[in-house]
Amino acid sequence: MADIVDIAVSADNFKTLVTAVKAANLVDTLKSPGPFTVFAPNDEAFAKLPPGTIQTLVQNIPQLSRILTYHVVAGKLMQADLAKVNCVTSVEGSPIPIDCSDGFEVKNATVVAGDIEADNGVIHVIDNVILMG
Amino acid sequence: MTTTITETKIPPSTHEFANVIHRLEAGGSMLPDTPENLMQIIGIYKAYAVPMDFYWRDLLYIAERVFLNPLPFFKYFLPKEYLDLHNHYAGDDADLRIWRGEATAHPELLAFIQKGETFKMPKLFHHLNHDRINMEFAEACMNAMLWHRGMGGQFDPYLDTDEYKANADRAIKAYFQGNPVMLGLYKLFPEMFIEQVRQLSYYANLGLFWEVMAPVFFEMSDIYDEGGFKGVPDAMNFLVNGIFAIAGRPIYHHVYIRGKCYEIIPKSKGFMWLYEAALPYVEAVFYRTSPFRGTKSYNAQAKQVPDEQKDFHYGILYADVLPVGTAGIPPTLLMDDMLHFLPDYLIDYYRQHCRGEDDMLIQLGITFQRSMYNVTSAVIQALRTALLYPLDDTNPKHLMANRRFFEAQMDRFKRSEARLRDIQSQDYR
Repeated sequence: MADIVDIAVSADNFKTLVTAVKAANLVDTLKSPGPFTVFAPNDEAFAKLPPGTIQTLVQNIPQLSRILTYHVVAGKLMQADLAKVNCVTSVEGSPIPIDCSDGFEVKNATVVAGDIEADNGVIHVIDNVILMG
Repeated sequence: MTTTITETKIPPSTHEFANVIHRLEAGGSMLPDTPENLMQIIGIYKAYAVPMDFYWRDLLYIAERVFLNPLPFFKYFLPKEYLDLHNHYAGDDADLRIWRGEATAHPELLAFIQKGETFKMPKLFHHLNHDRINMEFAEACMNAMLWHRGMGGQFDPYLDTDEYKANADRAIKAYFQGNPVMLGLYKLFPEMFIEQVRQLSYYANLGLFWEVMAPVFFEMSDIYDEGGFKGVPDAMNFLVNGIFAIAGRPIYHHVYIRGKCYEIIPKSKGFMWLYEAALPYVEAVFYRTSPFRGTKSYNAQAKQVPDEQKDFHYGILYADVLPVGTAGIPPTLLMDDMLHFLPDYLIDYYRQHCRGEDDMLIQLGITFQRSMYNVTSAVIQALRTALLYPLDDTNPKHLMANRRFFEAQMDRFKRSEARLRDIQSQDYR
């Protein structure tokens, strides 16, 4: 099996995410043993953000890292594990509400492909970039 | 895909402000969409942006250069260096160009600094004659943010950490190097100095917040002059997009002492414009602030002022604008600042109503209130976009979540002081 970064790089709908993770110097972290649960926004999710948002974040790496680490949770949490809780705490520190009552929703995003296992954790692909607050 | 698209409409709201909620759900603003409202709010954004161009520059000057000067007599005398300071969001070398104009101080501001309402004379005489920008208003906003604290974001909790105190300590010692009196005082009363630095960090925070808003308002005025906005929702959406575009700009506090930069709050902390400046600002200044000395009694027995800070409701969204110009009404300072920079079409408009030029300060104050309801609408729509669902979402559960969010926001305007009811009609002026 491959680690979280390798899986994202090999898939072709994570171009923006991979670029952002590289820019934010989070590659080594996400290649470490972890384990991590990553809610990975696909390219369409990034495309929904209003213009300028990404440009400002890429100019400001600590702020970009903060947004990206909000998408990461410590531990390997499969959909079945997440179904038992209402909320998980991200690596950034803010809570992420989880709703599995009707489909599989993470905050205001819907999981379009869940439980993609990696060596050092699991990836759930989401259709929106999630934001703290 | 679900196929029940025709079934997805949710029942109408039964909230007191149902009509406003339905308008928000249709992508509108709390302020009704009329050409008259659009003309008023854009005109006042322009009049606000010019003094704001002074505010943000001076706030940063005080935070970065005046710092702990115990006798800051000249803190409102902006040196050329700060008038020439390039706004990060205007001009050719902008990080992200919002206003197509110049990055240095606005020409109307420079003209006012030179001539004021009278004629060209040294800055000191303008100041003593009170022919100047009322910088105390900006400081009052900063104080509201400092004093209310705990309104979300990580900026405020950081001010209590040992890391922050160590950073402040380095700067304090460097600033008073060779001054045994102040260094001795610092040894005796360290918290007094640290608290002053916290206040200066809020000067920087607010300065960085307004550095964004000034070019946004200038650009909106230019777009309106070019015929670019078709209605109030367009103007609101420009603000929503602006909020997102700049959300990630860093919030920091750097101090320059004898040519050396001390990072009291480094950019690497990851503090962001949206969470650490914009949202706390809206809560502190639009909603809460503090009771006007001229309208409320601070008498503890009279119980006019709430016990809990979260219940404070003295911001511009609740303010009674009628007594503007009388004693004990702080927004008068801002209204007076805006009076100098009104566009001609707004002056003509005020001449035709109420007492014409005699009560222009009050008329423009009410226009300002309308415009801030539109800005608050933009913040509400931006939060909805960031945290909830698109307005055209087809899932009824998602639409209900949006509905509950809008209703919770409107609950804050149920109290009798709120001006949301008034701004629905043009008779309120």
